[in-house]
Amino acid sequence: MTGEKPIVSVEHFKMAFGDKEVISDLSFEVFRGEVFGFLGSNGSGKTTTLRALLGLYEPTGGKLLINGKPYTVDGGISLGYLPEERGLYKKEKVLDVMLYFGELKGMTRPAAREFSLKYLERVKLSDKAHTRIDKLSGGQQQKVQLGVTIMNEPELLILDEPTKGFDPVNRRLLMNIVEERKKAGATIVFVTHQMEEVERLCSRVILLKDGAARAYGTLADIKKQFSGASMDDIFVKIYGGEEQEAEDE
Amino acid sequence: MNNMHNLGTVMRFEITRMLKKPSFWLMALGFPVLMVGIFGIVFWSNNATMEAAEKLKNEKITMAVTDVSGVIKPEILQAMDAKEVATRDEGIEKVQSGAVDAYIYFPADLATERVEVYGQDAGLFENSKYSAIATTMLDQSVNAQVSEQQRAVLRGQVNVATTTFRDGQEYDGIREMIAPGLFLVLFYFLIAFFGNQMLNSTIEEKENRTIEMLLTTVQSRVLIIGKILSLIILALIQTLVILIPVLTIYFVLSPQLQLPNIDLANIPLDPLKIGLGAAIFIFSFLLFTGILVALGAAMPTAKEASSWFGYVVILLFGPLYGVTTFISYPDSPFVRFLSLFPLTSPIPLMLRNAYGNLPLGEALLGIAILAVSAVVVMLLSVRIFRYGAMQYDSKISLAALRAKRAK
Repeated sequence: MTGEKPIVSVEHFKMAFGDKEVISDLSFEVFRGEVFGFLGSNGSGKTTTLRALLGLYEPTGGKLLINGKPYTVDGGISLGYLPEERGLYKKEKVLDVMLYFGELKGMTRPAAREFSLKYLERVKLSDKAHTRIDKLSGGQQQKVQLGVTIMNEPELLILDEPTKGFDPVNRRLLMNIVEERKKAGATIVFVTHQMEEVERLCSRVILLKDGAARAYGTLADIKKQFSGASMDDIFVKIYGGEEQEAEDE
Repeated sequence: MNNMHNLGTVMRFEITRMLKKPSFWLMALGFPVLMVGIFGIVFWSNNATMEAAEKLKNEKITMAVTDVSGVIKPEILQAMDAKEVATRDEGIEKVQSGAVDAYIYFPADLATERVEVYGQDAGLFENSKYSAIATTMLDQSVNAQVSEQQRAVLRGQVNVATTTFRDGQEYDGIREMIAPGLFLVLFYFLIAFFGNQMLNSTIEEKENRTIEMLLTTVQSRVLIIGKILSLIILALIQTLVILIPVLTIYFVLSPQLQLPNIDLANIPLDPLKIGLGAAIFIFSFLLFTGILVALGAAMPTAKEASSWFGYVVILLFGPLYGVTTFISYPDSPFVRFLSLFPLTSPIPLMLRNAYGNLPLGEALLGIAILAVSAVVVMLLSVRIFRYGAMQYDSKISLAALRAKRAK
């Protein structure tokens, strides 16, 4: 990928909340069209990095760029972001919420309606189009939120633990949708603890530990570096110590 | 173009979903419905009283009377077919034996002693007819002894017209206050009815965790402006929903309800006062909308924000307790301070402008302070929303806000 211009570029990113340093010095790049895995144990700074990348947090230091500039809503890139903290307007109807976000993402109302109805049919929620969000189950709400995330066919898709709370059937559905977006040429950055998803989808990954990159590169490079047979083994190798430390304490 | 599109989208979404809420209509229609209820009771009560008086006129009641006072005219007693009895005991005995329906005893000194009325029980609501007869006898007897003019004085039916002058010009304080004072009433209603809605407008996205998706989709400035404009439009809709039935009731039913007659044609319309009132109203509304939006953005939950809302309301409406001071001592430092301090100034400025003791210079200074404060608070509310929105569990501190500003 040398010479290729990255779509996401993070250079010497530092982040502290008060006296607590969350990210000490983090650099990585994501290239157009790849599926990039963002891995790490809980509290390692993955969500903080994504939020800073999207301008939701102001970094303490360093540069976080999308298409060569800090992300702004009007920055000329179509983005789909599924945050870790999830929720929609609970008192509103499914279709109304989807239309609202579709229009905010620049779609016309008829186009947003057409997309929404097709998507709801695909995820078997077409009978819920006029149901209030808070009347749906947690899994159904997640499906709607995923639909909202991809409804402008984004060129950059950032998914923060997208399968959290999904049953196996819905997880498969979600992974199929991610694969479709990948085939359509979208760049996908996704945070997950599911190593089988990483093996199946990701071309490159970064593993965060204590606010810094512990490993970064292609799956093959990382497997070679850690002499691991699978990403699952490597994950345990890197973060297993934390579990041991917690047990010792 | 994109921002304008998103502004329109935010406004349409916010307005439509609010108009779909039953609570909006309950709040908007609650006041007129309450008024209809109250006026309905008054109307029914007036009709019932008139019907009772009519019934009393036609009812044949046998009566005995003892008039020690000498006030009651014999012809009145005759007209009412009342028999005179010599003593109080005799009269009471006639009632007890059923010989008459009622007995009335007029004592020697009507000013210090009580008129005594005895009657056959006619039910809880009908028994008052006996005392009504006693009062009618007295009324008619006295009226028969005085002239028409004296009668009007005794009945309190003399009309008094007061004309006052200010700077050599005729000046009616109350009428002068009506047009510019409407802004004060409107402001009070909007904050009272819409305050909580303004407060919750920015907490909702934080509480339901929609905020991250929103802030990566739409500019925070566009979102906040869209919400504020939606609130203003909703406030206007609600004002119309309240005013239209109230005015309809007033104009259609005022004769039946005996409401005070306001001659709209004679209400003074001073363009300067109305213009100043409108400017004070607009900037006050924007300032407090901004404050409530900022509070909502800074607090993690609606519950925490509502306790701060209480302080805002105290500052805003606290000056209402000093109404007489604002009117009587407009030049006192206390009144001037409250009139210029932006958090307390809306009520004093609007009140003094309506009453006519707000000098033009002070009014313009007050408006300028309100306008600058409104702009600063609006900008601050966008900043607080931008950075406070991501704090799900704690309120944003001023230190954190300053630190972000320094970057």
